[in-house]
Amino acid sequence: MIEFKNVKKIYSGALNAVALDDVSFRIEKSEFVSFVGHSGAGKSTILKLIYAEEKPTSGEVLFNGENITKITSRNMPYHRRRIGTVFQDYKLLAKKTVFENVAFALEVSGHTNKEIQENVPQILDIVGLGNKAESYPHEISGGEKQRVAIARALVHRPALIIADEPTGNLDPISAWGIIQLLLKINSLGTTVILATHDKEIVNNIKKRVITLDQGRIIRDHSKGRYAI
Amino acid sequence: MILLTLTRTFKSGFQNFFRNGSLTVAAVSILTLALLIISVILVLSISANLGLKFIQDKIDIRVYFKSDVEETRIMAFRSEIQKYKEVKSADYVSKNKALDDFKAANAGKPDILKAIDAVDENPLLASVNIKAVNPEQYDIITKSVENSTFKDDIASINYQQYKLVIDRFNSTIKTIRKTGAFLFILFSLIAILITFNVIRMTIFNHGTEIEIMRLVGASNNFIRLPFVFEGVIYGCCAAVIAVILLFPIVKIVTPYIIGSAYVKVIEADFLRYLVFIFIAQLFVGTALGIISSLLAIRRYLKI
Repeated sequence: MIEFKNVKKIYSGALNAVALDDVSFRIEKSEFVSFVGHSGAGKSTILKLIYAEEKPTSGEVLFNGENITKITSRNMPYHRRRIGTVFQDYKLLAKKTVFENVAFALEVSGHTNKEIQENVPQILDIVGLGNKAESYPHEISGGEKQRVAIARALVHRPALIIADEPTGNLDPISAWGIIQLLLKINSLGTTVILATHDKEIVNNIKKRVITLDQGRIIRDHSKGRYAI
Repeated sequence: MILLTLTRTFKSGFQNFFRNGSLTVAAVSILTLALLIISVILVLSISANLGLKFIQDKIDIRVYFKSDVEETRIMAFRSEIQKYKEVKSADYVSKNKALDDFKAANAGKPDILKAIDAVDENPLLASVNIKAVNPEQYDIITKSVENSTFKDDIASINYQQYKLVIDRFNSTIKTIRKTGAFLFILFSLIAILITFNVIRMTIFNHGTEIEIMRLVGASNNFIRLPFVFEGVIYGCCAAVIAVILLFPIVKIVTPYIIGSAYVKVIEADFLRYLVFIFIAQLFVGTALGIISSLLAIRRYLKI
């Protein structure tokens, strides 16, 4: 589903920092892959290249065989709708309720109000927030906020979920709840890519782990453990 | 789909407009000022043109003949002058007709009428009233009359007193257009600059929202349109305020520029032009709003 071919990424600037150095890998459909490594190892850069927030300096990034760098800005929204994104800081709109935050993703892509009324409650039930639809983000816990973000990522029924440090701000119990939710989504057929530096979580997932160090892949194990 | 996008983005632009508070006030007032300037210029040049036309209709050259000149001689002059292509009409006013007109004009003043009756002979002179096709041709006509074979029969030519008024109107119209165009360009630029900054602030305030929109795959138009609508609403509001303010301003300003004698004529026609001016204001206002928002989006919205 996703293939990186000799991808190199240099952030131009005073330092010309090399974020990724000749990285190649493949991720198949319905896989659950964790990227681990220290801060600055290149985890977030890989994710950004997939949802096309950044462009590679050289090399190719393929999504279902299509070169992502060749997508025009006009077609970019359609690429983004195939991918759900979840971040450490949730990125929820404070002035909107849980329901409205999830509905927002459908509104901006032109779904009718009827579709929104049908889909959003379903998705909120899946993430276990059916009873919090009318709450505002400041009224719910960190774990619940992250569930809202996941619900929003899921609402387009994407083929791929990208989660960048989704448990970074959470206590261990809420964190594990989020990971279990991601595993559940994965078991229903959605590909999940997780970036984290939480050793315990990675060791408990028992799925494929790609370890990065200074922009290079140093390990790629199908039943991986966190080891740097 | 298109309708949904339009209603949703319009709603969001509308909300931005109301939530921006003092920024909205700044943008609307500067746009109003720019529109007021363009409409005052429009009104003044329309009124000046109307005034000019009004006066031009009244203008003629009166050629007075000495009292001993025969009527046939005057008629010969008239038919001669009618051959000029610059002349629209040339009417003969006999001594008796002139006296009747004079009496009619002074009907309420017995002193004057008595004085006229006291004189045995009709003191008024026969004349030919000439109207030109184009007001600029009066000079030529006057000159050719002065140099014609009839010059010894002519007592006086009455033209000079109108020349001043016409010249005044012409130069007023020119000044209005020149200073008006300059002021309009200047204030349009200021208005674009301020509205541009207001919309830039809105874009900054909605940073997270725009980021999320991009992440969840909002179309570029969906991200762009709220800001364009915001600009359109600024323009429309400014147009409405400007047209309300326009009437009293015109009432105060016009007499100083055109001369109070013609204000009555102008006011009657002004209302007819009000709709036209309002449409022009709406058009210019929304155009300025859209230009500023598109500039801000280009510079500050990574789409």
